[in-house]
Amino acid sequence: MNAEPDAHQTALPPEAHPTALPPEAYQTALASLEGVGPARLRWLLSLGAPDEVCTMVIAGSLPPAPRQLALHDTTVTQWRGQACVHDPAACWQRCVDHDVGVVSWGGVGYPPSIAEDADAPPVLFHRGDPDRLDAPRVAIVGTRRATGYGLRIASRLGEELAAAGVVVVSGLALGIDAAAHRGALGLDRRDGPHDPGATTLRRAPVAAVVGAGLDAPCPVRNQRLAEQVVTHGVVLSEVPPGVNALPWRFPVRNRVIAALAEAVVVVESPATGGSMHTVREALARDRPVLAVPGPVDARTSEGTNQLLSEGAHPCLGPDDVLCAIGHVRPTSRTPEPADPRPDPSAEAAAVLEAIGWRPVSAEAIAARCGLGFDALAAALGQLERDGWVARVDGWIERRARPPTIRGGAWGPA
Amino acid sequence: MLAAVPSATLLGVEGHSVQVEVHVGGGLPVFNVVGLPDVSCREARDRVRAAIVSSGFTWPNQRITVNLAPTNLRKIGSGLDLAIAVAMLVASDQVETSAIEGLAMLGELGLDGTLRPILGVLPMLDAVGPMRPVVPVANLAEARLVRHDARAVSSLKELVAALRAEEPWPDPPVRADATFERPEPDLCEVQGHPIARRALEVAAAGGHHLFMVGPPGAGKTMLAERLPSLMPDLDDRGAMDVSRVHSAAGTLHADSGLVRRPPFRSPHHTASLVAMVGGGSSVLRPGEVSLSSGGVLFLDELGEFPAAHLESLRQPLESGIIRIARASASVTLPARFLLVAATNPCPCGVGRWGECRCTPAQLARYDRRLSSPLLDRFDIRLGIDPPEPSAVLAPDRSGETSAVVRARVTAARARASQRGVGTNRELRGAELELHAPLDDDGVELLRAQLDAGTLTMRGAQRVRSLALTLQDLEGGEGPLGLAHLEGASLLRGQETTIRAAA
Repeated sequence: MNAEPDAHQTALPPEAHPTALPPEAYQTALASLEGVGPARLRWLLSLGAPDEVCTMVIAGSLPPAPRQLALHDTTVTQWRGQACVHDPAACWQRCVDHDVGVVSWGGVGYPPSIAEDADAPPVLFHRGDPDRLDAPRVAIVGTRRATGYGLRIASRLGEELAAAGVVVVSGLALGIDAAAHRGALGLDRRDGPHDPGATTLRRAPVAAVVGAGLDAPCPVRNQRLAEQVVTHGVVLSEVPPGVNALPWRFPVRNRVIAALAEAVVVVESPATGGSMHTVREALARDRPVLAVPGPVDARTSEGTNQLLSEGAHPCLGPDDVLCAIGHVRPTSRTPEPADPRPDPSAEAAAVLEAIGWRPVSAEAIAARCGLGFDALAAALGQLERDGWVARVDGWIERRARPPTIRGGAWGPA
Repeated sequence: MLAAVPSATLLGVEGHSVQVEVHVGGGLPVFNVVGLPDVSCREARDRVRAAIVSSGFTWPNQRITVNLAPTNLRKIGSGLDLAIAVAMLVASDQVETSAIEGLAMLGELGLDGTLRPILGVLPMLDAVGPMRPVVPVANLAEARLVRHDARAVSSLKELVAALRAEEPWPDPPVRADATFERPEPDLCEVQGHPIARRALEVAAAGGHHLFMVGPPGAGKTMLAERLPSLMPDLDDRGAMDVSRVHSAAGTLHADSGLVRRPPFRSPHHTASLVAMVGGGSSVLRPGEVSLSSGGVLFLDELGEFPAAHLESLRQPLESGIIRIARASASVTLPARFLLVAATNPCPCGVGRWGECRCTPAQLARYDRRLSSPLLDRFDIRLGIDPPEPSAVLAPDRSGETSAVVRARVTAARARASQRGVGTNRELRGAELELHAPLDDDGVELLRAQLDAGTLTMRGAQRVRSLALTLQDLEGGEGPLGLAHLEGASLLRGQETTIRAAA
């Protein structure tokens, strides 16, 4: 049993560490141990200076843990072995390599927005600037398997909240989370990145809290989105780089989202799942919870509708959210600008009417308004040039008016 | 004693001349076939022997060697049976050498001496040259398509009687079999679908490959099946090429002459790669891409086809031929088809809105399979919705018939051929600049779309070529204006994958 710590000590002389490494390196190493969540990490860090605690773990000289941590002797023994693998220098190097910042509770740079939480993470890893959290924050959460409706609403909410100066917090998962981030980053704007308005419009930064180490994107499909969030906001994690996402990490992550946000909006969620866990965490912290109503027979809206019937605030648009956090829209007093697009001609208006709000084929439009190929092609060409419709492969969809900041709920289009 | 009879064998869709030499001489009675025969060809030994004996001729109890020259060419199939049998009879002095002069023998023998039809008579006749072919009666119609002097016999006995001048040559008339020929489905049977009709017309006229996305029951297959009926008859050369392929594959209905109508092939997505592109270990048979040459290759459920199958379509789409190389031989087959593909918008078929039950991972997999290099080959990408109920319940028979549309297509193709290409799709770069100039409005429209990023440079070329086809169909002249470019944009869709709004 003694061979391993000895081997470690010969490989890396302990006297080399104190001068070379900051305390965060030791905190990272401790957080990398298997089965170390916030509670155990807090206890470990309470035992002394981080480098001393590391030595205690390796030497096996940890004092007995409080009962509520349920720390078995076998786990402590495992830690002794792992401490050799999770060498502080290597852990620190990994943080440096992946441009991951480390802040500890009570230390410099720890986001004040979460520091007061009773269950605040003892150590936080971040990419991007954590100072960007210093603004009103709202979490938008929901299911991974969202419908088009949910994705659309999440994206619009994200976009309009960001435009109103609110930091949108989410979990960078597939589905609603990603849609909310995309919206908040302005990636879903129908007029696309070419619109000069997109750059002049001031947007609040974006925040993401993930359940895996920041060296590897999780899920991989959102890698590019994650990079955008890093550029225009901050990605937080309680998990050190190099540690894989484990199922128990996600509920723990949800608690950070709930703690960070001043209000939580659930866009779509089944009756059980991660979003409902975030809601419980938010309620435990007395944060307002809003839910977007959905069809009563849709599984994806079961959870949100249930929340509404239990008394959650209905979220019919960004104003409901802003109201809930007592935030006043910075530009709400400016009158709503008129639709900048030229009015369609009578024939084009009929075509527009026939398109409705779902992608349709040219075929269906022709059948609905009785136009031939040439007339329809001309009408659609004009509408497209004026920004009323967009072609997505063979499908044609009606474009919403360019996003403007305006009051009130969305209401039916 | 020695005898030689000319015959032919098939490789891919090409006939190759073969000289069948038989030597009957002293020694222990054995019967050998040499000269690279494949298994079915080697089996000729037993068939020929039985046929000669049961036709009442004598089998020489001597050492018999059959050589199939040239010996470096692999001989495939049973088409050499007749030539071997006749050469045997000549070499054993049962038929005069002078009787077979100037004749080439093709046909498979039954054990009772009857002659059975063989595959690929059409291309094989190319290989026999000036020799007068003798073929099985069942192949006569096919042989007469290219050789009016072809002779047909029904059995070895009949042939020998004619060779010995004991009986006149039978020369049976070509039987016009009253085979029921299914009429081509007609465009006038389509209810509604005004845009898709025009898309079919443009595809037929300009040779633009067509891609249709739509939920099940929208009518994608029905539309695709009607595309060949809009295409003009194949010209003589084309008809000959196509008929040769079908002769080699055994799908030629020679009673109705050469293949004049563009073929329609719709392989299932479980078809093997060899079935798609052609090949096989010994017989290099044409695959679906060759069988649809001159016509339409329809791939329903494009997303279900294995990626290798779809990638294998790239060479034929580029060059109009498919080259099959095996250790034994390598052949080039024609593959000049119009590709029509259909797919559901997502695996569950609903589309990516509403009640779609697909998981994000399923959708991502579906998108990946339809690689953009492949989708890039489709000039026309059309969303197809099911027709409105009113169009189904009150059928309107006033839609144009295929014949009316075909007349326009034929005229448009004639204009394309004046530009030196078969179809407008083949126009590239500088040719397009020359033949498809734009007017000011047109330039402005394309520039706006290019600036907005809704059109790529390649997309702009395809739109021009489509607009040119639209103009050709109307019989118009002059630079392309807004009307044609808008029509072309509508057909082209946008430069994305099949992902609809989600």
